[in-house]
Amino acid sequence: MAFLEIDNLSAFYGRAQSLHDVSFDVAQGEIVAVIGTNGAGKSTLMDSIIGMVKNTGAIRLEGADLVGRGSAEIVRMGVGYAPERAHLFPFMAIEDNLLVGGYTARDDIGRNLAHVHELFPVLKERATQETSTLSGGERQMVSVGRALMTSPRLLLVDEPTIGLSPKVCTEIAATLRRLNQEDGLTILITEQNINFAMSLATHVHVLETGHLRVSGTPEELMADDELNKAYFGT
Amino acid sequence: MANTTNGSVIKWQHLLLWAIFLGGLALLPELADIKWIKRGTLRTFIFANYLAIFAMSWDVLSGRTGYISFGHPFLIGIGAYTTGILNVRFGVDPMFSIPIAVLVTMAAGTLFFLPALRISGSYFALITLAFMELIYQLVQVIRPDLTGGTRGISGVDTLMRGAANNYYLSLGLMGTIAILLWAMMRTRLGTALSAIGMNEEAVEGSGLNTTKLKLFAFMVGAAVAGVGGAFFAHYLGYVSPRGLFEITLAFTIIVSALLGGAGTIIGPIIGAIFLTFLLEILRVKFSTELTDAWPVLDWLETALKGQGRFFIYGLVALVIYMYQPKGIIEIVNRLLARIRGAKA
Repeated sequence: MAFLEIDNLSAFYGRAQSLHDVSFDVAQGEIVAVIGTNGAGKSTLMDSIIGMVKNTGAIRLEGADLVGRGSAEIVRMGVGYAPERAHLFPFMAIEDNLLVGGYTARDDIGRNLAHVHELFPVLKERATQETSTLSGGERQMVSVGRALMTSPRLLLVDEPTIGLSPKVCTEIAATLRRLNQEDGLTILITEQNINFAMSLATHVHVLETGHLRVSGTPEELMADDELNKAYFGT
Repeated sequence: MANTTNGSVIKWQHLLLWAIFLGGLALLPELADIKWIKRGTLRTFIFANYLAIFAMSWDVLSGRTGYISFGHPFLIGIGAYTTGILNVRFGVDPMFSIPIAVLVTMAAGTLFFLPALRISGSYFALITLAFMELIYQLVQVIRPDLTGGTRGISGVDTLMRGAANNYYLSLGLMGTIAILLWAMMRTRLGTALSAIGMNEEAVEGSGLNTTKLKLFAFMVGAAVAGVGGAFFAHYLGYVSPRGLFEITLAFTIIVSALLGGAGTIIGPIIGAIFLTFLLEILRVKFSTELTDAWPVLDWLETALKGQGRFFIYGLVALVIYMYQPKGIIEIVNRLLARIRGAKA
């Protein structure tokens, strides 16, 4: 039994279907990336796992089905969600943004906050600053930090590098790798930045207009000529 | 929303500021005694205090969560009518009729809450407006023997005599509600409510039950509206559909909260006092002293057929809001920060 199993997942916004029978597994302690262009269904996939989109099929965390449960319950079961950084609370201090994340894991607030501060010291230095005044990279830190405040065992990160400079991307990659190796956190990210995803993940899935097109290790995907043509233009 | 400090800490400095603010207001009747201010000014302050209660209530429900209510008088009116009917028609003592009125208002608050489960934004605002219009019509035709129909109910027991006593009562209510709400909003609960106003989906994605949180905000907002409405009815001594279920009252409440500073507690209070006095000064002086001093106002008054003061009121509100959308409280905060910066 895989840590996270996604079986024939289809997701709907009203009558529009944006995911079609998507299936893949994430093993415990792994970093998995789902790559795809705008509108491929990456965010919908994340929203489905966290229970914010109507869906059919099965999503299982350590065997327990998540479909049909509310987000609050899913977060309590150990899924932490770092949405795109536009989804922060803009007119609120960094600290308060993090504390909203700590709502479900009350007993761990002190420890989690210390951990987030250790990972991202800048969030401690600017604890009282409004997030609307932060740079893109700092906001991404707040988003990941807020998700870590929920004491997750599975961390979902939606497009962590969108619009960020290569240097900041490298830093974020290093942090995610550290969370994975030191804390044993299982991580699922979505990305448009293929190189970022390939360098970080042990397994990569390619999503195209709601269909899972191809899956494999980064090496296998690199060897796929058709894929290279489509995504790297070589 | 202007609250950018760590939400879970209550410092003694803050309590001291509250004590100075409310203590200062408590001295006003003394000033009236030595003729520094007029007795009538005290009456204006009483209205400002009740408006502040309504504005705080609106702010808990709308200013924080972003579910803008245009029908807040619905809740206030339910509170006022319930205690009015119980007191006048059934001879219930205000000691019991007021708490019952608060409970009934909270029940009515769940009616408000139902649409908030499915819709938000302008649709929610319109539905709340519909609530208010609906009850305005219903209260006049259903059981007029109880509601008094279009004329309302007069002879509601007054709790206090004299401007000073009524002022202390309204100030006590306003102060108690302000401090309770303030303490509540400084907990993580308050932070979560503000977060809903900024991005409800993200709150949900962080594992918080937004439905429960919203229900809580609506219940607290309704309870405060009920307390304010019930005591206001006992202050006025009457309730009437025109005076309560009125779009003007809804807008005055909203403008108070926004102008003072939505998402704070002190903001709506300052907004309510500012607005009450602005309207009062314009009402008393607009067509006399002010128009004499500025002929252009005289022209305006003639052009707008005696309603010129509302033009000025709107203009003042607009200018402040455009200059600082976070309200008067933010203007004051920045000013203080600048003074502190200059000293350092």
